[in-house]
Amino acid sequence: MSTKTYKKFENAGSGDLPDKMTVYQDCMNTFNESPVNPKRCRILISRLLRLLSNGVAFPENEATALFFSISKLFQHQNDALRQVVYLAIKELSGMSEDVLMATSSIMKDVQNGSDLVKPNAIRALTYVLDESTAFSAERLLKSAVVSKHPAISSAALCTSYNLLPISEVTIKRFANEAQEGISDLKQFPNIPYDEHSLLVGEFYPNSSYMAQYHAIGLIYQLKKNDKMAILKLASQLADSNTLKNQLAKVQVVKLIADLINRDPQLFNEFQSVLFAWLTTKHEAVQIEVAKVISTFALRNQRLVAPDSFAYVVSTLQALLTVPRVSTRFAVLRILNKIAMVAPERIALCNPELETLINDTNRNISTYAITILLKTGNASNIASLISRISRFFHDVSDDFKIIIIDAVRTLSLNFPQEWKSIVKFLMDVLKNSEGGLKFKNTVVEAIIDIVSFIPESKELILENLCDFIEDCEFNEILVRILHLLGKEGPYTSKPSLYVRHIYNRVVLENSIIRSAAVVALAKFALTKNDPTLKESIVSLLNRIANDQDDEVRDRATIALRLIESADGDNTNVATELIEPKYFYDLPSLESKLSNYLNTNDDSFKTAFDSSSVRRFTEDEVKAIELKRKQEQSLGATSESSTEAGTKKSKLNDKTENNVFGGSSVGEDEQELLNAKYAEELLAIDQFKEYGKLINSSKSVSLTETEAEFVVNGIKHIFKDYIVLQFNITNTLPDVALTNVSVSCTQEDAETSQLEELFSIAIDKLLPTEVGACYVAFQKTDNLVIEGFLNNLIFTTVDINPDTNEPYEGEEGFQDEYEIDSLYINAGDYVTGSFIGNFDTAFDELPAEEIAVFNIQENLSLQEVIDKIITNSNCLPLNNTQFAPSDSNSHVLKLFGKSVLSGSKVALLIKMIHSSKGIALKVQGKGEDATLCSDLVNGLM
Amino acid sequence: MGNYFSSMFDKLWGANKELRILILGLDGAGKTTILYRLQIGEVVTTKPTIGFNVETLSYKNLKLNVWDLGGQTSIRPYWRCYYADTAAVIFVVDSTDKDRMNTASQELHLMLQEEELQDAALLVFANKQDQPGALSASEVSKELNLVELKDRSWSIVASSAIKGEGITEGLDWLIDVIKDEQL
Repeated sequence: MSTKTYKKFENAGSGDLPDKMTVYQDCMNTFNESPVNPKRCRILISRLLRLLSNGVAFPENEATALFFSISKLFQHQNDALRQVVYLAIKELSGMSEDVLMATSSIMKDVQNGSDLVKPNAIRALTYVLDESTAFSAERLLKSAVVSKHPAISSAALCTSYNLLPISEVTIKRFANEAQEGISDLKQFPNIPYDEHSLLVGEFYPNSSYMAQYHAIGLIYQLKKNDKMAILKLASQLADSNTLKNQLAKVQVVKLIADLINRDPQLFNEFQSVLFAWLTTKHEAVQIEVAKVISTFALRNQRLVAPDSFAYVVSTLQALLTVPRVSTRFAVLRILNKIAMVAPERIALCNPELETLINDTNRNISTYAITILLKTGNASNIASLISRISRFFHDVSDDFKIIIIDAVRTLSLNFPQEWKSIVKFLMDVLKNSEGGLKFKNTVVEAIIDIVSFIPESKELILENLCDFIEDCEFNEILVRILHLLGKEGPYTSKPSLYVRHIYNRVVLENSIIRSAAVVALAKFALTKNDPTLKESIVSLLNRIANDQDDEVRDRATIALRLIESADGDNTNVATELIEPKYFYDLPSLESKLSNYLNTNDDSFKTAFDSSSVRRFTEDEVKAIELKRKQEQSLGATSESSTEAGTKKSKLNDKTENNVFGGSSVGEDEQELLNAKYAEELLAIDQFKEYGKLINSSKSVSLTETEAEFVVNGIKHIFKDYIVLQFNITNTLPDVALTNVSVSCTQEDAETSQLEELFSIAIDKLLPTEVGACYVAFQKTDNLVIEGFLNNLIFTTVDINPDTNEPYEGEEGFQDEYEIDSLYINAGDYVTGSFIGNFDTAFDELPAEEIAVFNIQENLSLQEVIDKIITNSNCLPLNNTQFAPSDSNSHVLKLFGKSVLSGSKVALLIKMIHSSKGIALKVQGKGEDATLCSDLVNGLM
Repeated sequence: MGNYFSSMFDKLWGANKELRILILGLDGAGKTTILYRLQIGEVVTTKPTIGFNVETLSYKNLKLNVWDLGGQTSIRPYWRCYYADTAAVIFVVDSTDKDRMNTASQELHLMLQEEELQDAALLVFANKQDQPGALSASEVSKELNLVELKDRSWSIVASSAIKGEGITEGLDWLIDVIKDEQL
């Protein structure tokens, strides 16, 4: 067929998809013809694939019919046809249940097919094999893994990788063959024509050595539970010169990253390799190494010399000017992460970054500007903002949102620069074109500024009043009205806002009118201007005749509440109009759905809202601020949840696995805590203990490589303390029975705790996690105590196939010492937000001062992190990051007691010198005991 | 011109047309062994066929497209997907498997009721004659109720795929019938 007829047949270039039914009919007719016309079949299958890849789906009966007619093409021995048949089988495997009918034919090709179709056949195996048939492919796969042909070997390794979850037993038998796959440098066989092989040799490498990459992926999956094996694998591959494939090198770098994240001391061992690979010719490897070192360095400053870090940054700087867009983008991502915690360290890249603002690729220019916003300091914020304003109107909404987010972070980091930022945001909000999502982001940024920078309140509210005069989005208007209602009554001129809000009632639709009514009602109880109440009542009376039901109802309710506030019973009114508490929404939701599900008396008992956690406004703010701080920090400390931009599925999976075990993100931590609390409260013995007041984060009590990994969690009740120990059994083929922890008070004589009982774990199979509890009654409010802990258990050897103990196996009782667990003052404190730390600090009555000298070799940042964890307080004014260019730092912490709610503030001055770190802790609080315990028990 | 004549001859002798032949039967009857005995003339080691094997072979100037479908219970329902345009069915029976003669008979008659197979000739191999205790061809014929078949050319041949006995005789008969009836 000539090119011309081919074109006519395909009608290529039109961009339209071929008609689904025509393709289906053509396929059915042509595939069932005898003899088979391979060329025509190939074209039809490629059309079919085009449809499928564009998301066109066939109903199951049609997909099945297609599959069977395609399976008939196995009768024709044409390699080109066979290849597309495999592609089609892979695509249809998701839609049709009957792919197993192709098994025999595929296996035959794996065994006897030509080198051209073998890889395709091997890859198709993944889709047809299941648990019961996988073993029959074992021999075939094994011989394909050791094939000298790189494409066949790669395909077999990938298939083995994908079959792992289906039949681990089978694949485990190829571990040695896979290992050979790394060291064997497989090359494509020479093409017999001289001219061609010349060409190939000159312009194309004879192999990409991709099999190395696939082999590493498979071996990692096979050995990932054996940490020593992974360590050995990584150091072998790092030292020898066998790795030729860049993805394989990237993979090894990731293995190293995983190892050094678990055990930072290993960094020294791998340092030389990492820095050697930082200068390879492969950009991907350079980028990965730079990412690993920088992430590691930010967390373990002491272990990475400053010049090493500077070297990484200069490598990244050089990569910023390469022509390849994806490289520049990847580098920007790394720089961005560094910028979030240590912006001053990448300041030397600023000239390159500034050039990149004008990059034609908008992804890159946006990223560049957001990094610049982070590296910016108080002095150049204004000029940066003006630069953004210049090009802001040319970019699409998505980029605008990213930029606004960066500006928002900036405003939280440099509260003193709020004026220029607010001016910019207001300008953007009023004058810039954009959709709802974008405007919403702007409003959110503004709301943040209002709540965290109290000085900005009046200016912002006035500007927002202007804005709502002409706003096209209901959702945003409603949010702003809510904000006005919340903040307006506390300003100096509440009447101003009342006028603006009432204008909305006159001019807008019913949704906005009802929001405005609620906002108005809040002004009725304002303290600043008692005269307002009368006007509000008359306005509400007028609104009570509104044509819309909802508006009328709200107005009437508001009126009744205001009237009731006149009498003695002001509580109901104030509580509804100016709520002091906010429910914890996730917990409210789960309690409510639980209530609906377990209802068996047709809702006669009312829902008990007192069991839902409630927060005061300060607490809500503390939680929000904490979340925001963690969001920016999270990006660096937690690579696990980040969706990689890696191309292959294989790669992605491995990456997640590599990082999976390392660090639990803060959000997950919170979820875990909620889960633990729920499990705890579900146990009968603890039901009468009353409300769970506070749960600590989980503390690691063993090495993560130990035979038994134990984490401790402290749960505080009003009169009780419960220690929870989560125990993981990492021993293979051994079950632990009757597992408990014996806790002895460090100072048993004077202890104010009395042990009540402990709950043991019956049985712990390999890799399982279980929790045992020890409960104490406490005699004093604030008990500070340390516990020496011993794990007591009976080991039983079990048969790995059945997970049942061998017959006659009696077990062996054993003890295992784990680290001590301390209950300190921080466990009675939770972080709290206060807008003006310095004033609050001065006003608190009780005072305690302590001085510490730390001689261990710790960096300032490590000390800060430790203090924050120990004290459980919320760092304010962005003081949780140590400056890298100075030897001193002041940390400001604020919190309050979980028992009484009394406030406590800490001001910690620290100086780093050659002798160590000197700390001066000044604590102030409402409760003198708590304050002094907290200060003295800080380190 | 040469091409033209040769294609004329091909049409005359039916050489260009491929004949579709199915080999069916219960699992372990010897279908795959028979297929490769026909194709390469050797005994190959086989394992249970999950799905099918298909081979094209030339026999007496004819191109045969022979499909060997797996006989496991789970695969039998799929046989019907391959019935279209079939010239002949070779049904293989394990003559030593007396317990499952009844099942084989049911599967055979069920298959022959299919519309698409109305014109197909039927050849039954009473296979595994080399084994002690194998039923003879006539005994197998009785067990399978072959005499009940109307309007169909059928034959039963005692065979041993391992020793290569009876296979060609059976196929010769089948080709003759097909040539008579269908070409």
